[in-house]
Amino acid sequence: MDIAVLDKLRAVVGPTNVLGTVELAPYVVEGRTPEAALVPGSVDEVRAVVEIAAGAGIPIVPWGGGTAAAVGIPTPQPGIVLDLKRLGQLVEHEPGDLTATVEAGMTMAALQSALRARGQWLSLDPPDPEQATIGGVIAANASGPRRHLYGTARDLLIGVTVVTGDGVVVRGGGKVVKNVAGYDLPKLFVGSHGTLGVIVSVTVKLRPLPDDERLVAVVFDRLKDAGAAARAVVASDLIPNALEILDAEAARALGLQSAEGPGRCTLVVGFDGVREQVEWQCSELGRIAAQFGGHAAGALPAEAWPRLASASRDAFDAPAAVMRLVVLPAAVSEAIEQGTNAARQRGLRSAWSCHAGVGVITAALASGAPPEPGPIASVLHEWRALAKAAGGHATLDWAPLAVKSAVPVWDDAGAAGRIMQRLKASLDPHNVLNPGRFVAGI
Amino acid sequence: MLGRGAVLSDPEELLVYESDGLTLFRALADFVVFPTSAEHVSAIVKLANREGLPFVARGAGTGLSGGCLPAEGGIVISLMRMNRVLEVDYENQIAVVEPGLVNLHLSWAVGPRGYYYAPDPSSQQACTIGGNIANNSGGPHTLKYGVTTNHVLGLEVVMPDGEIVWLGGKTRESFGYDLAGVFVGSEGTFGVATKICVRILKKPQAVKTVLGVFDRVEQASAAVSAIIARGLVPAAVEMIDQLTIAAVEDAFGCGYPRDAAAALLVELDGLAVGMDAQVAHIVEACRDSGAREVRTARDEAERQLLWKGRKSAFGAYGRVSPAYMVMDGVIPRTKLPYVLSRVNEIVGAHGLRVGNVFHAGDGNLHPNILYDPRKPGEEARVVEAGAEIMRLCAEVGGSISGEHGIGLEKADFMPFIFSVADLEFMRRLKQAFNPTGRCNPGKVFPTRKSCGEAGPVAYRPHPIEEKGLAQRF
Repeated sequence: MDIAVLDKLRAVVGPTNVLGTVELAPYVVEGRTPEAALVPGSVDEVRAVVEIAAGAGIPIVPWGGGTAAAVGIPTPQPGIVLDLKRLGQLVEHEPGDLTATVEAGMTMAALQSALRARGQWLSLDPPDPEQATIGGVIAANASGPRRHLYGTARDLLIGVTVVTGDGVVVRGGGKVVKNVAGYDLPKLFVGSHGTLGVIVSVTVKLRPLPDDERLVAVVFDRLKDAGAAARAVVASDLIPNALEILDAEAARALGLQSAEGPGRCTLVVGFDGVREQVEWQCSELGRIAAQFGGHAAGALPAEAWPRLASASRDAFDAPAAVMRLVVLPAAVSEAIEQGTNAARQRGLRSAWSCHAGVGVITAALASGAPPEPGPIASVLHEWRALAKAAGGHATLDWAPLAVKSAVPVWDDAGAAGRIMQRLKASLDPHNVLNPGRFVAGI
Repeated sequence: MLGRGAVLSDPEELLVYESDGLTLFRALADFVVFPTSAEHVSAIVKLANREGLPFVARGAGTGLSGGCLPAEGGIVISLMRMNRVLEVDYENQIAVVEPGLVNLHLSWAVGPRGYYYAPDPSSQQACTIGGNIANNSGGPHTLKYGVTTNHVLGLEVVMPDGEIVWLGGKTRESFGYDLAGVFVGSEGTFGVATKICVRILKKPQAVKTVLGVFDRVEQASAAVSAIIARGLVPAAVEMIDQLTIAAVEDAFGCGYPRDAAAALLVELDGLAVGMDAQVAHIVEACRDSGAREVRTARDEAERQLLWKGRKSAFGAYGRVSPAYMVMDGVIPRTKLPYVLSRVNEIVGAHGLRVGNVFHAGDGNLHPNILYDPRKPGEEARVVEAGAEIMRLCAEVGGSISGEHGIGLEKADFMPFIFSVADLEFMRRLKQAFNPTGRCNPGKVFPTRKSCGEAGPVAYRPHPIEEKGLAQRF
């Protein structure tokens, strides 16, 4: 990087907040090291940094906890990482309004614990809450099992403040729970992976903490029975807050001994509410599950919750790839069955878990011994094809660059992709925010 | 292109389309067309582009911000003939519908199987799903279930250049930018939706409705806070003030005590188990806040009667005033007592009366300013008072619209809550969808050019009111 530019950046954030050389280790993605990492301490510093970098044509990689940093293609030209960890305060929490305004760099765990102290929570439970920041979770549209009842970031984000690629502070939405004034900018930033603006603070809707919450696991000998049971739960009067199906490999990662065995799988269902509601629902679930051959029903400890979302990727020490398949909810068990077979036919093991009620599946593929890229790419292609055949789509959530070069990270977005390109060109005209990382070459 | 009987150009007939539910604004189209397919809409849009004509989509015309008016003339694309339910997939709890489908008709279509469509604007007997998309419409039950955008998975859209594109799809999640998410609520400026995939919900096992009666408005506001503080999330919390109660009782006799300062209508839904305990919590919260009476509907008939009072409030104003203007603003719930008293002061200072009936649970106010359009100068005072109320909402950290949209009415108020940079960013977003600006020009942004008749004009009844075909609601 040009030394004059570096000096300007140092002047903005202070020399100790410009990291270089060995300090860059945490920011290395897929073996690519950024030119520098900056840790600004205010929105104005973020603005100034973006302005300087954009002026010098240096790509900017906004950074939260780094938990989704490997999603997508790393920027071809090493740029500067903008780490938002110093923007980590809860700005405002008014329990009576059920809203909170939070700086982007606050971790999910810290946020939830501050909210919990006042009887509320943000109903979003992505993996790695200790590392993941609220800004990053929104940029990556990360979610967890409770999305079954409470939705995802798009349903909870009511206001957002960003620094645009030309170094301007823009606010969208507001602080109130219902608001249709102007375009819905918060929606634009959910899942945008830092390509449209650097999220510096957000306002979210909150919920009261439930009195009671429980997680129940039921084992099935056949995947299709678990799928049928999940569909029956969805069609029943029950109001679960989570509805997961795990195959034997994912169940093992979660420590469920009873679920091991070929073809076996586990339906995990969460309930919250007042105690009598939770109890009634647990017993109803037992009745429904039994109709489909469910057995060995039992409660899971509360510690199982945060591990559910990553159960399939945790099944292998070093997975060859992790893919996310989105299909119609009723099609999940069939998709898992076909996907497992596709891997097995190439001699590879795979682990599967899904949010059965919303049709979002996470599949991890084990490396063969020795690991060969050919069969891995073939399996991933087949998984993508089966998601498409089921009316859905697939994203290669994690894989080494070698695999990504053979298997696209995202599906072809078609005509919608051209609108996305126009949107990016209009909102980040100098193409400085995470260039090349996202859908449709954005 | 469209066949016979699908184009209006006679000035008499065009009059019907010169305003929406907000009759303060009027603009005359050159043509009104009635397509029956996305291909029709695409062909119309391409023709408009060739001829350099602006165009705007229109549903039932129940909007309250002038959003579907042809502000600069051109073509009004009425979607009322595209009103079919195309597909219902109960297993996946989704439905694909055409934009001209009346909101309530979707719930009717899926009701026999135990499902419903959650967003329930007060005009749901007439308004269309396409219009709901444009405005991101809400309703009383959005407190628990969210607004239109929370229920839309994907849309087939005719883009402003005529291309037919799907944004989002039928799955619960799409990839790339959330184009469906930004399209919803874009007030018809990003294109014309021709198919809409929505979620349908299972009807709750149990529903309970409680009426709290208060001698002071502050007590009713306090009860709203008390309910939230108890960790309850009711399906709806609606407030009705004294003037409105009296009007409703005169008109319909729904059983509200007519001398009460405010009534709170609270609805809980969900599992039958535990419902009574939750109702007891609501009753307690109301009592603790000083309610003089708290009543729980004993059966469905009584529940419907309580709701009738709420839902017919707008009609009832017709009995106490020759005209009224519906305002729509949002404030943080905790600011309710202060803002309500300020609203009364503001309207009073202009020598006018106001009735309040609104979604207290999510802080979405609807002050209805009563006036007599025959009295010179009164309408101008309504507009002034309205602007002051909007400024008040902005000052307390709220918004200038919760569900009616910006349209023509509030375009000039946008700077109350957005900076120049915010608006410029929105303009660039619009540019990506609608580069020529021909799709619904003159809306949302404070760029009030002189655009034909589109500006506040003296009250006249809506053309269909004049013909006795409808009353205002």
